[in-house]
Amino acid sequence: MTRQENPADLEIEEKLSNFTHLRRLPEFGVILAFIILFTIFSIFATQFLTLRNLTGILTIVSELGIMAIGVAFLMISGEFDLSVSSVYAISGFLFVTFANRYNSPLAFIITLIIALFIGFCNGIITIRTHIPSFITTLGMQLLLRGSLLAITGGESVSYKSDTIMPVLLTKFIGYGFRPSHIWFCLLTLIFSLLLTRTRYGNWVFATGGNKEVARAMGVKTTRVKMINFMLSALLASLSGCIVISRFNLANASFGIGMELEAIASAVIGGTLLTGGYGTIIGVFFGAMITGMMRTGLVMMGAPAYWYQAFVGAILIVAAIINLKLSRIEM
Amino acid sequence: MIRLEGQPLVKMVDIEKKFRAVQALNKVNLEIQPAEILGLLGDNGAGKSTLIKILAGVFPPDGGEIFFEGKKVNFSSPQDARTLGIETVHQALSLVDIMSIARNFFLGREPTRKIGFIHLLDRKKMNEECKRAVTGLGVRVRSTDEFVSILSGGERQAISIGRAMYFKVKLLILDEPLNALSVRETREVLRQIQKVRESGVSVVFITHNVYHVYPIAERFVMLDKGIKLGEVRKKDASAEDIIEIIATGRMLNK
Repeated sequence: MTRQENPADLEIEEKLSNFTHLRRLPEFGVILAFIILFTIFSIFATQFLTLRNLTGILTIVSELGIMAIGVAFLMISGEFDLSVSSVYAISGFLFVTFANRYNSPLAFIITLIIALFIGFCNGIITIRTHIPSFITTLGMQLLLRGSLLAITGGESVSYKSDTIMPVLLTKFIGYGFRPSHIWFCLLTLIFSLLLTRTRYGNWVFATGGNKEVARAMGVKTTRVKMINFMLSALLASLSGCIVISRFNLANASFGIGMELEAIASAVIGGTLLTGGYGTIIGVFFGAMITGMMRTGLVMMGAPAYWYQAFVGAILIVAAIINLKLSRIEM
Repeated sequence: MIRLEGQPLVKMVDIEKKFRAVQALNKVNLEIQPAEILGLLGDNGAGKSTLIKILAGVFPPDGGEIFFEGKKVNFSSPQDARTLGIETVHQALSLVDIMSIARNFFLGREPTRKIGFIHLLDRKKMNEECKRAVTGLGVRVRSTDEFVSILSGGERQAISIGRAMYFKVKLLILDEPLNALSVRETREVLRQIQKVRESGVSVVFITHNVYHVYPIAERFVMLDKGIKLGEVRKKDASAEDIIEIIATGRMLNK
């Protein structure tokens, strides 16, 4: 009886039960959440809807989001990477050190290669010893962070080299936009295509969805995981190089806790923590939400501490929604 | 009907396999004829699964030889076996639940089309061919974009069997294909298996329940504790005789 009075509700319910609909646009939920939050901030924070603020948010979002893409891609294949925040910090240091000694393009390449090696170590340890990647990469995170703090003694290092990489990565290109914004969008597009439109993407889904089935069907699951561990470290490293080019300074405490923000972005974007499902476009908006919360709350006059609390709350809600959605599917 | 003369499709000779101290298979011989349905029977732990996993390339035997179409083969991976046309359908190990039907159908063998220098999935072909293959078995599927998780056990079997047929399988190994199926679905899957045989494919049907396989198989091989008890043809033994053999671990003295 009450149903009939509310045809809109009924329509929504119908749409929810008809899953083909939603799966055609799995990012629906996160985009909706993004629009709602964006509207709220635009209304209640006066300076929010300005080009300067929005590009500022985009800068933070890009640095977090590039890392989150790698984390999510690996998560879809069924593994965690908690070491990204330390890879990020150590990459900044390596980049500055090598750039000051040689030049920035060479420093950039060397840094990425070292990051690939760290990702390789994460992968080989996880696969060979069968310990959960949660532990492997937590260990790697502490090991790298500790080493970095010990070697630098907590001192910062300034960037004193050419402007080639900083210009390519993050220097202003006008109206507050930076190349890192473009890189983030481009990487989102590339990884989204890789995941949904290539054979490799199909193997990533299968490896995370059911490793035994994937292997039985001829997918080289250990290779898929190895590659994804390396991609995760690579993107974290890129993100580290970008942030150091922006600050012209590397400090051993950069990025502490950022791995959790990256995982939160992935989960808010609809990635299943258990692997096998997720979208990169979703991660893009997940990172947008996370980054927007940071400035939006402050601009609304809330103390900066509330940022973590809100991200935490959204994360829990997102995880519950993800699980509910996958239950309806089952 | 039964072709005993001529070359068998598969010949496994003196197959041995040990798992640590356990002798899982002890000098087991098995022949599979072209276009026959062979029932491989035995109680739990008899070695049925081990034997077919060796045949499917999951792991190598510790001893013995395998001949496929007369040629000696050494499989180092399931991929090797599949290349020759040996495919296993296992209820729990054939499909990824949270992937679409079409993506599952082509998993590991995805068709691509070239755009410039990159190879992209040919999703149109995936959906169309998948639908046609499954419909060809007389099964009505919903959209091939649906997740496998919403399908019934029978529908899953149909997709796995349809997939094997699509990829020109020569030997189809069915591992307990009727477990947890309803009566109606059981009949449906049995019909599909017969259809597979009629198209010239050999089928190995593994089960511990003789009533599952008795209606459609011509020949039965019984295993017990890693040893081959023997084999009988349908005209020489009733289903009850076969149960007796498995239960007592001895061939009947008739």
